[in-house]
Amino acid sequence: MSMRISIVKAGLLTSVQDMGRYRYLSQAVPVSGAMDQLAHRLANKAVGNEDDRATIEFTYADASFKAETDLLLAYSGDGAFLVYNDQVMPAEKPLFFRSGSVIKLINNPVGVRICLAVAGGWEVPEVMESKSTFLAGAFGGYEGRMLQKGDVLSNNVGLGKLSQEILNQLINRGLSYPNWRISRESLIPENRHSIRVVLANEINWFDATSIIAFLTNTYSIDRRSNRMGYHLNGKALVRKVKKELISTAVTPGIIQVTGSGDLVILMADCQTTGGYPRIAHVAAVDLPLCAQLKPGDEIRFSEISRDEAAELYLEREHDLSLITTAISLKYLNI
Amino acid sequence: MTEQSAYFTPDYPVNIYGLSEQSVTVEFGTVISEKLLHAITGFNQFLLKNPFPGLITTVPAYCTLTVFFDPLQVLAGELPGETVFDKVSYYLNKINQLKKDGLIEKNNEIVIPVYYGGDFGIDISTVAKTNQLSESEVIEKHTSTQYTVYMIGFVPGFAYMGGMDASLQTPRKQVPDAKIPAGSVGIAGMQTGIYPIETPGGWQIIGRTPLKMFDVNRNQPSLLKGGDLVSFRSIDIDEFNALAEQ
Repeated sequence: MSMRISIVKAGLLTSVQDMGRYRYLSQAVPVSGAMDQLAHRLANKAVGNEDDRATIEFTYADASFKAETDLLLAYSGDGAFLVYNDQVMPAEKPLFFRSGSVIKLINNPVGVRICLAVAGGWEVPEVMESKSTFLAGAFGGYEGRMLQKGDVLSNNVGLGKLSQEILNQLINRGLSYPNWRISRESLIPENRHSIRVVLANEINWFDATSIIAFLTNTYSIDRRSNRMGYHLNGKALVRKVKKELISTAVTPGIIQVTGSGDLVILMADCQTTGGYPRIAHVAAVDLPLCAQLKPGDEIRFSEISRDEAAELYLEREHDLSLITTAISLKYLNI
Repeated sequence: MTEQSAYFTPDYPVNIYGLSEQSVTVEFGTVISEKLLHAITGFNQFLLKNPFPGLITTVPAYCTLTVFFDPLQVLAGELPGETVFDKVSYYLNKINQLKKDGLIEKNNEIVIPVYYGGDFGIDISTVAKTNQLSESEVIEKHTSTQYTVYMIGFVPGFAYMGGMDASLQTPRKQVPDAKIPAGSVGIAGMQTGIYPIETPGGWQIIGRTPLKMFDVNRNQPSLLKGGDLVSFRSIDIDEFNALAEQ
């Protein structure tokens, strides 16, 4: 079933994203993809999609779009609430809208970004095996750029069985949404400003006082923060080994220490290689928390081991697969 | 010892460390050299031809090769080891212990046509003055060397190359230019490079190539890759325009 929206108000930074572009890292093509991968995947799951279907990432609110057809949508994340007819639409559940509906985003003070999924996934051409937008390179997503007023986005019309069944049940019962929702809260820690990290290869380049400061002090997110990375304000770190790091691969989540001792958390659009020593990397399961941090937000880092981080990763993947199973069992006779 | 077997142990005891839950880095040494580049290139080519279950991609750099993988697929695979890190490390150590002949594919040799000076190379006079050369001597020296690509980084398709004539060495600009056009050929310190996409930058720009250094529509979007051998050829404006239209 064909579904279409038109952008009425684009908002601050709205782009098509997916789970990232991994196969061209050796050519210095960044990963990109949705900053909050958990939100991206949950929004897809809620409409019965595979996780890798493209979603639209909105930054804060102040945006709106119009349903040009009947729609099955879902959203997830902390940057905004979807509002229709002055009613806040619940996140992490499938939402049915009639053609002609105008849906607005209003401010959610908690975070920065939401991902908006459509049944079938948003359809844009694949560039280097991904639908993600890389703005600095002007490729991927919707014509390599952020969305603007008047842009029309369509879904991939070949809906999966699960999406079709979710849609049928809502239409048959005349509902806007079902009574179930995915519990995103159960997947993320209560304290969203405590970020778990694994110490990195160059940890011994820093003096002991600096390592302790890194793990105990509060850091705040600087204004110089975007999809490439976040600069942090806080106690500058002191190096005991002064040599230069020879440029080597880096990846989203890595925390680099600049020449002046300041911390930078690398995010989705970060360069593929870097020459700053790395003090730690954010545990993959906590990277979605970082994606929702705003300038001024305060965070602390707590150390976990490489094996603990790996275990948390596997648990998270297991929990996510259970969600898909639960939704499938609800709708399909399997 | 044959040249090929020299690329592997015992010359390079490697250090493997975790970079993230989905990647590990193999460190082959800590000093940039062509020998190390060949070791990394050979290892990388072997790994890509003989991937372990779950391998996604690799990123070669000056002294390291970083390996990205899907942890779930690695765990489901039959490599020895309890954790994902153990399994991947086991495999990478195994490769490192192999002594294979003929592992290294011949390096690509690529000639880059460049229009030097004029509006396309506004800083060629700076490079000439800094090194007490004429502009034609700068071109002569820049085109008479073969360069080695060590790695691709910074922006899509940007090649870090070694081998520039030391008498062209010029410091970076104090204030970077806001926009350097795609294809610009520059010098910064002992390095020379080509800007694949329009970006801000502080290199001294000596010319421009009509070739697309990065093109998303190509099978390999980046024209250059680690291990390639590059030389520059001076062209006139007619040839530049003709090549640019292709």
